[in-house]
Formats: sequence, structure tokens, C-alpha cells
Amino acid sequence: MAWLGVFFVAPIVIVALYSFNVYTLFPGPHGFTLDAWHTVAGSGIYRHLFWKSIEMSLIVSISIVVLAYPLAYYLALSGTRRKYVLLLLLIAPFLTSYLLRVLAWKVILGDQGVINSFLVWTHLRAPEHPISQLLYSRFAVMLVLAYIWLPFVALPIFVALENLDQRLLEAAGDLYASRWRAFVAVTLPLSLPGVIAAFFFVFIPTIGEFVTPSLVGGTGGYMYGNQIVDKFGAGFPDWETGSVLALFLIIVVAILTALFSRFLQPQRVAAE
Amino acid sequence: MEGEETRRFDRQTLFRYAAAAGGAGVLAGRTGIADAMRSISLAETGRLQVMDWAGYGNDGGQSMFASYVKTHAANKPQFTYMTNESDALAKIHAGTKADLFRPYVGWVKYFATSGLVQPWDPSQISNFKHLNPFMVKAGQYGGKQYGIPDDWGFDAILYRTDKVKPASNSWGLIFDDRYKGKISWFDDLNMLTVAGLYLGFKNPWNQSDAELKKSQDLLIKKKKNVRLIWSSETNLWEAFGSGDIWIAYAWPNDWVQMKNKKLKVAYMRPKEKPIAWVGMFMLLKTSSRPKLAHAYVDAWSSTKSAKWLEDNYGYGHANTLARPASSDLLKALQLTNPRAVTEPAAHLDRDIPRRATYANLWEQVKAS
Repeated sequence: MAWLGVFFVAPIVIVALYSFNVYTLFPGPHGFTLDAWHTVAGSGIYRHLFWKSIEMSLIVSISIVVLAYPLAYYLALSGTRRKYVLLLLLIAPFLTSYLLRVLAWKVILGDQGVINSFLVWTHLRAPEHPISQLLYSRFAVMLVLAYIWLPFVALPIFVALENLDQRLLEAAGDLYASRWRAFVAVTLPLSLPGVIAAFFFVFIPTIGEFVTPSLVGGTGGYMYGNQIVDKFGAGFPDWETGSVLALFLIIVVAILTALFSRFLQPQRVAAE
Repeated sequence: MEGEETRRFDRQTLFRYAAAAGGAGVLAGRTGIADAMRSISLAETGRLQVMDWAGYGNDGGQSMFASYVKTHAANKPQFTYMTNESDALAKIHAGTKADLFRPYVGWVKYFATSGLVQPWDPSQISNFKHLNPFMVKAGQYGGKQYGIPDDWGFDAILYRTDKVKPASNSWGLIFDDRYKGKISWFDDLNMLTVAGLYLGFKNPWNQSDAELKKSQDLLIKKKKNVRLIWSSETNLWEAFGSGDIWIAYAWPNDWVQMKNKKLKVAYMRPKEKPIAWVGMFMLLKTSSRPKLAHAYVDAWSSTKSAKWLEDNYGYGHANTLARPASSDLLKALQLTNPRAVTEPAAHLDRDIPRRATYANLWEQVKAS
């Protein structure tokens, strides 16, 4: 509790005090005001940016859950002896630097990168008309985020599936349930806590992402997290507005987590 | 290890001063002792605390202050990095104990009136007389020398001559719809100044609300053409060098770097004129090592350091005696013209009275 108080609650309280101008970067007169909150609430630009980030995070989270599920299913339930070797192979790239992995995508996605060069080589695109949306775009951010977060999605689903009571599947088979029916009625509901946990492992951190967008996002991939960073450290310090933006993000994430936390309780879901 | 050396030196210095005080006492009585004791209190000890940009410290910029380190081995500089002036301002207010730092010329008035800095004593900087007088003047406020100019360059336009045919020599090229997806802007509130220049406003550094609205509208409208807003030169070089962008808001060094990559490039001086920026060393009011800070800035201002900066970093240097080995850079910076940074050749960057408003509007452009 003390740890949580010092390293989580206290910093949030300090940020809140900045947002109300009770604390300020600059010396001189200051006092409680809701000005920054009013500014953010009345700004269509911030709202637009927030929804854009939510949309991007949702697309990333849902896409990789859909991609990772069959992968985790195969690893956990196919009965292959090499499942831990395959699992290790899946997470192997993540033993290298985050920055290096993101930068590697630049080599692949650039106008003269691997993909565009291949398309030119196969005469599918003219050299002067590469697919420029591959890099410095919203797509590039979502692709790289999906790649970066894939293991964080695959592992919880893998654990959920591996802990599945195999006897339930056998029972479904004894009752003449087809494999698909057994999957829908048994496997999927019981693995749902893992799926939901995996979804949130990705959705929550990616809403506030700013490193990946700043490396591969260009103007189109600029996210809500970038705006928070810029408010604190670029142009001219505006810690008041930056704090409001940060707190708003925390509040939204907290509400979402509370709403879906019941899915993180396996026994309850299983009972239903 | 350096810390140990410093501590050892401090003790040695103290003993030396104590010996001097004792000796002086024998020779000159009580007056001599008082003088010697005063010299102890005036002695500047410890490592010089420098807040500077990445690349200007022990991460590659050592040649710029090598002569200082040679003569002040016990007071070697210790660096805190600043990512921009806003970051420096936050760090200073947060209690970072720096002796000197380096904002750019547009911030001289802001810091001079902030109460955070103190003026330099140019008589303690032997190389001061070699510094460009126009840049020196830009470092003054209220008749006092708050900024010592050193590195400088231009904000202008870099473009690929084999891909781009500018309609005219104008800042308009970085807004040109014909090159959608091939343009890069610089991540700085100065983009509003450039928009103001392009729109022909009388004073782009101090635009009225209506003018600022027009400048911001232009940037928001043309942002669709922009693929990347760069914040570091390596960021720009990577994108420009790989052909991802063809037109960029850039500095002279970027032109040199792209030429070195054998790209067909030109560095346009727009008819609305480029903007000249100058790095200004400023001495913090809380500095406990002002003499050491003067010595450090003197080292940075020498002709040898200046030439090294030009040859290795591709920036200009305020020392008018320095000449780079590259004739391209010499030409790009117009180093033979001491007025290159000022009218009628260029607009020397200046104070933006409503900087917070500009910053807010620029952030909105990025977020839009």
C-alpha cells in the first residue's frame, strides 16, 4: 500500500494540483482555477485527438487478439511437444531493444524499403509511385504497435487455454458436440478471461503511446500521448493543460478497467 | 574517478590557500591575511555545471571546450542536457543547478527579463572581440550582454532538384499541394512565424490574433501535404536520405549532409528571406562559478573551436575568423558576409512576446 501511495497516488495528486494551478512551474501568484479543464473540455481538437487514439488502440488491440488467439490455441491445445520452443521463438524478438525493433520497420516500410522495392521488382508498382502510406502514417503506427504487443496478447491467452480442463472437451465430445460447437460452448468462454486480460494489456498502454508514433507516425500518426509530452516539454511549457490531458486519460482508463474487471475473474465467468 | 580528483584538488587548493594565507600573514600582517581569506571565499570550486544540447557535451562536442578542460582540469564541465528552451526553463525552475546554458537568440529577452540570468563580463572573454558584431548585439538586452553568440545557422528550404520544380523561390514550397506526402516541417512554433512570413504579415514574430488565426489555418490546411514533422536532424536525414521526403524546412548542415549522400539537392533562400538562429550562452544568476563559466565560453568562442564546429557539425560559428574546409558550407552560410544573419539577407530570429500563445496554436496544428 505504501508503495502504491508513494509511486502511484502521490504523483497523480501532484499532477492534479498542477492541473488546477495550485502548483505551477513558474514562481509568482497562482491559485485554484478550472481554466485548463475548461480549455480542454471546450476544445474539439483535443476531443478529436483522443477519439483518434482510442480508435487506433481499439483497432490494434482487437486485431492482435484475433491474430494471437489461433496462435495461442495451436500452441496450447495442438498437443505439439515443441510448444515451449515455439513459444520461445514467438517471444525471441522481444529480447532485443524496443527501439531497434521499431526502427527495423522503417527499413521495411519506407518508400525504398523492402515492401516497396519488392512491389517495384514485381512490376506491381512504378518506382515513382511507391505506397507511401506504409510509413509515417496512422497505418505504420498501428502495424508497429501490433507487432510490439503481440506476445503480451499471446501469452495470457496461451495460459488461459493451457489451464483449460481437458475433461470438459472430452465430455463435449462424448455428448456428440462438433469441434466447432465444443469450441464455442467450452473453449471460448473458459478462455475469455485470458482474452479480455490480453486485450487490456494492449489497449490501456497503447492509448497513451508516444514513442512509436514519434518514430513512425509522421503527421498522420500523431497520438494523444504525443500531445501530453509536447505540452510538458515543447514550445513553451504548459504543464496545466498537459496535466489535464494526462488526468483525463487516467480517468478514462480507470473507468474502462473497472467496467471490464469482472472479465478478469475467471471463476465468475466460468460460472456464467 | 573524476569526483575523487575534484575532492582531492579541493583539499589541495584549500591547503594552498591556507599556506598562502599563513605566508601572507608573516609577510604582510593582518591585511595580508584578510586578502588571502577573501581569495578563499572567491575561489570557485567543483565541476562547472553546463546545461546544453545533445552533441555539445561529452557526447561528441569535447573539441569545443578542450582548451577549457586543459586549463581547468579540476573543474571539468558536467552536463545536463536540454531538449529545447522550454525544457531548460522547466529544469531551471525545478531546481537544476546549472552555471550556464544555451537558449537561442529568440529567447534572449525572455530570459534577460525573467530574473533567472545575469549579464556576462565580455572583458573576461578574450575571444569576444572576434565574434560577429550583429550576433553580439542580438545577445544584448538593456545595454548588457546577456547572451554570448556561438553556433548559428539558417531556417530555409532543402529540396531535391531532380524531383521538385519550385514555382518560385518562396516559403510556399513547404505548403505546395503538388508535393503532397513528400514535405517535412520542423517541430517548432516558428512554423507560425514562417506562415506569417509567407502570408506577408508585417511582424510575423508578433502577429495579431487575426493574423495568428490565418497563419494557423494555413498550417492546418496544408498539414495534409506533410508527411513528417521532424524534431531532430537525424530524423530528417533518415527520411530525406531514403527518399521518403523531397522538401524540408532545414538547416545548412542538412543540405551538406544530403549532398554528401550524393543526392541532387538545393538549399533555397526564399524571397521572404530565411530566418537566422544563433545559440546564446547565458549565465544563470544562481551560478557559483561565474569566472569558470566565462573561461568555458571563451574556449567555445576560439577560432580553433569555431572551425571545428563548422567542419564537424556543419553549423556556423560567431567567430568571424573561422572558415570551414567545405566550400559548400561556406556558401550556404555566406560566411564571408558578416551581415548574412541580418537584414537585408535574412531575418535574425527574435523575441516572440506571445510565445505561450504561439506554442499553444502550434500544438493545436499538430493535434488537428
